[in-house]
Amino acid sequence: MSEHLLRVDWPACKAHGVCAELLPEVISLDEWGYPIVHEPVNSDVLALAKTAVKACPTLALRLTQPPPRPA
Amino acid sequence: MTGAAILNGPALWFANRGTGFVLLVLLTLSTMLGVLSTARVTSRLWPRMLTQGLHRNVSLLAVTFLAAHITTAVVDTFVDIRWWNAFVPFSGTYKPLWLGFGSFALDLLLAVTATSLLRHRMSHKPWRAVHVMAYAAWGMGLIHGMKMGTDAATVWGAALNYGCIAAVSVSVLARFGLLAHSRLVTT
Amino acid sequence: MTATIAVQSAARNDVGLIPKVSEGPALLAGITQGPGLASHRDRLGPAPRPSAEALVEMARDVDLRGRGGAGFPFAIKLATAARRRAVVVVNASEGEPASHKDATLMTCAPHVVIDGAAAVAHALGTREVHIVVPSKLPSLRLIVEKALHERAKAGERLKVELHDAQPWFVAGQAQAVLQLLVGRENLPVTAWKPEAVSGHRGRPTLLSNAETFAHLGHLARVGSAGYAAHGTADEPGTTLLTLRGDGWDPEVREVAFGTPLADVLSEAEMTQPLLLGGYHGTWLRPSQLSGLAVSRRDIAAAGASIGAGVLLPLAEGWCPLVRTAALVDYLAGQSAGRCGPCRNGLPAMAEALRGLVHRGGPAGRVEELCGLVTRRGACAHPDGTARLVASMLARFPDEVDSHALGTCRGNRREVFA
Repeated sequence: MSEHLLRVDWPACKAHGVCAELLPEVISLDEWGYPIVHEPVNSDVLALAKTAVKACPTLALRLTQPPPRPA
Repeated sequence: MTGAAILNGPALWFANRGTGFVLLVLLTLSTMLGVLSTARVTSRLWPRMLTQGLHRNVSLLAVTFLAAHITTAVVDTFVDIRWWNAFVPFSGTYKPLWLGFGSFALDLLLAVTATSLLRHRMSHKPWRAVHVMAYAAWGMGLIHGMKMGTDAATVWGAALNYGCIAAVSVSVLARFGLLAHSRLVTT
Repeated sequence: MTATIAVQSAARNDVGLIPKVSEGPALLAGITQGPGLASHRDRLGPAPRPSAEALVEMARDVDLRGRGGAGFPFAIKLATAARRRAVVVVNASEGEPASHKDATLMTCAPHVVIDGAAAVAHALGTREVHIVVPSKLPSLRLIVEKALHERAKAGERLKVELHDAQPWFVAGQAQAVLQLLVGRENLPVTAWKPEAVSGHRGRPTLLSNAETFAHLGHLARVGSAGYAAHGTADEPGTTLLTLRGDGWDPEVREVAFGTPLADVLSEAEMTQPLLLGGYHGTWLRPSQLSGLAVSRRDIAAAGASIGAGVLLPLAEGWCPLVRTAALVDYLAGQSAGRCGPCRNGLPAMAEALRGLVHRGGPAGRVEELCGLVTRRGACAHPDGTARLVASMLARFPDEVDSHALGTCRGNRREVFA
């Protein structure tokens, strides 16, 4: 199963918090309003994760696949 | 009524003025919602997604009214407004200056709409640079409306116009007032 | 070998002192003859031009690690960057105030570094080399320019561009350097791919610390066997250390791996807490120092990392809590301010540490902040700061307790108003 990772482009993130509203299962906000990504995105929430990526007002959220572990 | 009668009668002109005012209200609402987004106004009952979603939907609705507004103006035979006058500012024969304001506003809104529909496919900075032109589009559309016809002189017309100016002004001032006290250094 | 001779590095620390430099066994051999090309070639002969495969193999043989602080295996980086249109970047910006090894290399032995860069460039089939120098040491740039001029006159065909790094802590971070190279602000941005894959203008970029290139040049000359003449079987070679870099009596020394720490530090320093690695390093208790050697493995086993080779023994009469609090204050001010967690978290950490200094608590808040800033930024500045703080809390819990009781081993609370 290929798990996706939600990564934040930190200089672009301006703490709008839309991602945490859409994906509370995976993202919560710290005391300054910036996202904490708790875990990789599994297939259950993948569609929501893609919506969150599109909804970020500054396009600071990205869905990536983790690099393959070296053998 | 025959088709010709509709085209030659005042119906289209009324429709044009009607769509114009609705358009003004919708664009004003959209601008206020856009300002609200940057101000990060949110509460337990009002999630950020609601502001964002409303802003998007109100804007798209405004675009359809804009299409209707332009169509009714062009099709109407009472005044000589051609298709290209809508897109090329100051190219018309009927009140070219104030019509031109409207055309300019249309061009800006076309750019804003196109870039916003493709927002996730482009880089953020250029998208934003185009998007802030929506303020100018709103302003130019407002002036276009105030100067094009006689409705602005009526009580309800004036009330709408000045009401919209007040609404956007209050939103913008509130936004900067709110963020002046914010610890977060953000835009 | 430890006799200091009248060699002057152009480096200067924040107190205005020039670090003492002595001749070394490999990189710093022959510095007494000055930084000129003629004496360099007289001593060493012409520079070899090995292939990329040969260089990668040699680097793998001796497990050559980057000297910028992260200690990344250089062979992997070189192999990754060995593609079309590669770019070589020598990072001598040395943003760490307590480190002077790169400045010393660039002013006392510039050709050792440039030989290495030239060898890599030749192996990668590129002539485009960038050297990043610290703008706060203008004499360093003059020396490097002279060295390049000498090489050009001697017929070397290399296109070297010099860049001036800002005097900030984060100016030497890889992405910050790449920004500088394209004329943008010398600050970090998010990297979606490693520089060796896609760096300067999207090209494979071999960006490494100046000392790393120096080692590579030396390795190319003497081969893996020659390189292993110093050091141990597991860790061949030497490394440059900066001792007491931000205080009185700073020194830069080249030391073979495996050298006991007791041979590097004074007796008195061996009885003091040691901050190892730099301002993003880790603390060691005095009890941990006696059996320790300058060895990656030994140091890792002690729960620390050699980092940028910066050794900062705690000065007599100082307290590690107050020292750390002062460092975090500095590091918070050095945040690029581009990432929310760092911009907010580091000043909060400094504030929380002030609380520890004056009241001994709450330590929970400090730990919470360390967790909040780690891996939540475009660069490792907040991570390094958190590492420094976490190591202080782990090694000196009694120190924190004593502050809660209103006492301090160094009695230094009044310094920190």
